[in-house]
Amino acid sequence: MHKDPLAASDAIKEAAHYVQSKWARVPQVGIILGSGLGGLAEAVEDPTAVSYEEIPHFPRSTAIGHQGRFVCGQLGGVGVVVMQGRFHLYEGYAIKDVTLPVHVMCRLGIETLIVSNAAGGLNPHFSAGDVMVLSGHLNRMNRRPQEGLPAEPNGAWMQSTLCPYDPQLNRLARCIARQHDFEAPLGIYVGHLGPNYETRAEYRYLRRMGADAVGMSTIPEVLIAEAHGVRTLALSAITNVCCPDALSQTTAQEVLQTASVAGEKMGKILLGVLHSHP
Amino acid sequence: MLDLYDKIEEAKAFIASQWDGTPRVGIILGTGLGPFVEQIKIAAEIDYEEIPHFPSSTATSHRGRLICGTLEGVPVVAMEGRIHLYEGHAAKLITLPVRVMRALGAEWLIASNAVGGMNPNYQAGDIMVIEDHINLMTDNPLIGVNDDRLGPRFPDMSEPYNLEMVNVALAIARKCDFVAHKGVLVAVTGPNLETRAEYRFLRLIGADVVGMSVVPEVITAVHCGLKVVGFSVVTDMCLPDALKEAVVEEIIATANAAEPKLRELVAGVVGQIGRG
Repeated sequence: MHKDPLAASDAIKEAAHYVQSKWARVPQVGIILGSGLGGLAEAVEDPTAVSYEEIPHFPRSTAIGHQGRFVCGQLGGVGVVVMQGRFHLYEGYAIKDVTLPVHVMCRLGIETLIVSNAAGGLNPHFSAGDVMVLSGHLNRMNRRPQEGLPAEPNGAWMQSTLCPYDPQLNRLARCIARQHDFEAPLGIYVGHLGPNYETRAEYRYLRRMGADAVGMSTIPEVLIAEAHGVRTLALSAITNVCCPDALSQTTAQEVLQTASVAGEKMGKILLGVLHSHP
Repeated sequence: MLDLYDKIEEAKAFIASQWDGTPRVGIILGTGLGPFVEQIKIAAEIDYEEIPHFPSSTATSHRGRLICGTLEGVPVVAMEGRIHLYEGHAAKLITLPVRVMRALGAEWLIASNAVGGMNPNYQAGDIMVIEDHINLMTDNPLIGVNDDRLGPRFPDMSEPYNLEMVNVALAIARKCDFVAHKGVLVAVTGPNLETRAEYRFLRLIGADVVGMSVVPEVITAVHCGLKVVGFSVVTDMCLPDALKEAVVEEIIATANAAEPKLRELVAGVVGQIGRG
């Protein structure tokens, strides 16, 4: 436990107050846009952008293809706060930096969190450009998102539902995909620390463990949302399918290109979910 | 990570003041394999403590010297004694010497370690040429702001060990008439050895041997553009259904006994690099 448990919650409070001073509404949905998907933020109507750098206690984002700001406004008829760019552990940020924006969104009042990421496909039935709906995850990031935080709200850290991904939202997302004539398969996401991509032996290992896709984000964010009682939908853009038995290289450029193909599909699911948001 | 560049340059400048050669190969030797340096025609020996920013080694049977000279006529720089994650240093720090080797001009890294054998077809004293690895360590040397002068943000890991040289090494072993395997190393943080249940798990996920080093160095080498050859010396067998207690003295004795084989392999690979 943190020496001064209140320090962490003060940071959340102050950061949330700052965002509220720029945009005084209560959002219903929080959205985190991953690698190559930042373009979706342009669709927000009546937007108010709040750059991470100006928010108290926020670190700065450095990863390629990422900008760092909240975009608040209306999307699909719903009040949203969109994270355009996120903080990754591999960038050297502490777990409390990585999760701070999620705490802030939860404090702003979101009921639903939609998380997107770019991931490497391990399931041989996937193709590059697919969108996977997360049904579960394997956490091998070696960091605890609860670290240094008070046992609030209501000791929620100890009350995991063991099902952070809302089954109803998953059904809805897949239904919307079918309506747009594409399949969005369910799957298990394994989070690793990165930043290097995996070796062939590691891909074989992760596949054997039951993972369908591998990435470097999402899990800490989802665990925090769950602790706040916010229901979560998480989507992975499958940027490439890792075939350990056929040697091929992975490049960041390739990942970003395919992420934008899958990004279009994700955009459809996202808007569909917002339109159906109660 | 942006301060790393200056540290590398300072360490490099100090080594260059002691030795005017340009290494083609960097060599890192593991537990019990230190005597190998006798083979090197030594031009300079530098204690780690003298080199700016070099971490110092505390592990059993590890000395802390950087050996500069030639092997098979090829200029090399060899670390006698390595620094481990379990000694409490950050992965970024323990891999600094690899970056310094690269900065000095090396194109290849040869890394060796002592490992526990889990593949039941292996025996204590065998050598495994590392074909691939699984990283289960809790730290990664590339975490932090990436310095693009040193390497890419997201390094590809499809071939961390040069597969051509894996075959060269196996051919050398055949020629010298000793057993060498090709397999997968899994790296754990340590320092405790594994439980029987953990050995079963590690075997199940596809590993042939388990060790507590090499992988951070290899990730760093791939990041900074070094080609890698890795050797694991099987110092004891870790078969969960017939597990014997590990005795450090026996492990070191086995490593010492296997050392002549490693000598042949490293010299052979360095010779091949020299001709290539």
